[in-house]
Amino acid sequence: MLDEHLLEREIARRLERYKSKGVSWHFESSKSLVPILAALYGSWVKDGLARGVQRLVLLSKGHGSLAHYALAESLGVVDEGIVEREFLSPGSPFQAHPEVGKSPLTMVSTGSLGQGLSIGAGLVLAARLSGVRREVAVVLGDGELDEGQVWEAASTASSMGLGELVAIIDRNGFQHTGPTESVKAKEPLADRWRSFGWTAVEVGPDARSIAAALRSGRVGGRPLAVIVRSSW
Amino acid sequence: MRLSNTSSYRLAYAKALVDLGERLEDLVVLDADTSKSTMTIRFSEKFGERYFNVGISEQDLIGIAAGLAVGGLRPVASAFAAFMMRGWEQIRSTIDRDGLNVKLVATHSGLSPHVDGSSHQSLEDVSLMRSLGRTSVFVPADAVSTYEVVVWSVEKHRGPAYIRLGRDNARPVYGEGEFEFRPGGLSILRDGRDSVIFAMGPMVGVALEAAKLLKEESLDVGVVDVYSIKPLGRSEVLRIASGYDIAFTLEDHRVVGGLGSSIAEVLAESGGGVRLVRMGVDGGRYGSSARSFEELLAFMGLDPASIAKRVRGVLS
Repeated sequence: MLDEHLLEREIARRLERYKSKGVSWHFESSKSLVPILAALYGSWVKDGLARGVQRLVLLSKGHGSLAHYALAESLGVVDEGIVEREFLSPGSPFQAHPEVGKSPLTMVSTGSLGQGLSIGAGLVLAARLSGVRREVAVVLGDGELDEGQVWEAASTASSMGLGELVAIIDRNGFQHTGPTESVKAKEPLADRWRSFGWTAVEVGPDARSIAAALRSGRVGGRPLAVIVRSSW
Repeated sequence: MRLSNTSSYRLAYAKALVDLGERLEDLVVLDADTSKSTMTIRFSEKFGERYFNVGISEQDLIGIAAGLAVGGLRPVASAFAAFMMRGWEQIRSTIDRDGLNVKLVATHSGLSPHVDGSSHQSLEDVSLMRSLGRTSVFVPADAVSTYEVVVWSVEKHRGPAYIRLGRDNARPVYGEGEFEFRPGGLSILRDGRDSVIFAMGPMVGVALEAAKLLKEESLDVGVVDVYSIKPLGRSEVLRIASGYDIAFTLEDHRVVGGLGSSIAEVLAESGGGVRLVRMGVDGGRYGSSARSFEELLAFMGLDPASIAKRVRGVLS
């Protein structure tokens, strides 16, 4: 299996190939997602397997789908070349936003922002009750943090001491209509998470740094927020 | 507690939850800080480790319930109906779209929170919920049927369902053991020669009282409890309505989108020409605070006497 660094290159290479074939929907949003997905699937999930911990990844920012599909292609989960052929075709697995029952590596349908963290909390609670060792990483966009539900879930997670929950924030600095700070301010972002009872760390946009943060960032029973800054 | 003697939807619900908790190890119950009102507190007292209060955050409530279902458990989420609708988009995008096995049990629906007033009185929830793709919608009339609907939905039904309950405003309709739930079913509670009222929830009992008043004036009007709004027993509705020139619906909900609209769809598509009169909350009206549920019904023109008067006016 590929380590996080090689996986990052594989995903990025495919993403560029999609673009060269005119498949570039929400491209920047996918691009900043590449090192995050590489760290999660190239390191974090594998480390979990080695330790007997089931580690699940939920994509809450569903519009990063092209990176997600490039990941699936890189992992050999779907056939090489199928994404650029079938992306957006009606009924295909490669919906604009990944969907359960259609899309690869998808446990919960995506597309409506702000919902992933609550679902991740539910998956952690289910594991505790079922005696399963499970950790859940939820990948959020920075623009997505405008949604109030994110902060409802952030409060729930710290109140319930859900140390098995990780939020990874793709801090690319942009949302749909412009720079995040001009639309609705997100800073001081790490402090916001800390004030909600989370441990927060900030890292640069490379898979190795993100993987290292995921390995070492956890403090006590607190949920962990990893803020991946590709714009400072 | 004999369910046939109580007017409390929520106590019947709590009894069902506790009984189910004994049988089903995978049952988990969630609430958005209303457990003392929805009475899910009864479940939490007995099965605390399987009970989660997520705080006053209904969107999060729906999301956590979804995660618990994806994780293989059997979640039941409760809130006041008006505020559960705050999570409607979460219900739509995740629970309904992914067909998750989540039961949404809303209490304090319709006009039942008579003290709290219009903010708490949900007049649109049936419309919102029945327009979804995969979610069943059930509205029991009284405590006996509430118990049966909850037990069936949680124990036998895999997939999303919305169960609409009132507060403590149920007129007892069924005796013990008299109600058997059937998805897509309905109960003919009273036959009538002159017309029929299709009613839902607490208005079933109101319709029965109105029918008694009409009988004293020699108008013979039947009453049907439409407890399964979705799926709807279309052929039975049509068969019953076809026996009359005029049929009525009665609901503690807006006449748009709820029971009245459901029955109207069936009758219009049949081309049978039965005239339908929808009774419920009309047009731009909202509810109000009141000192009792009965006082509120009268204020809204939905008490038995007002209903009888309206039916008489149409039929004569």
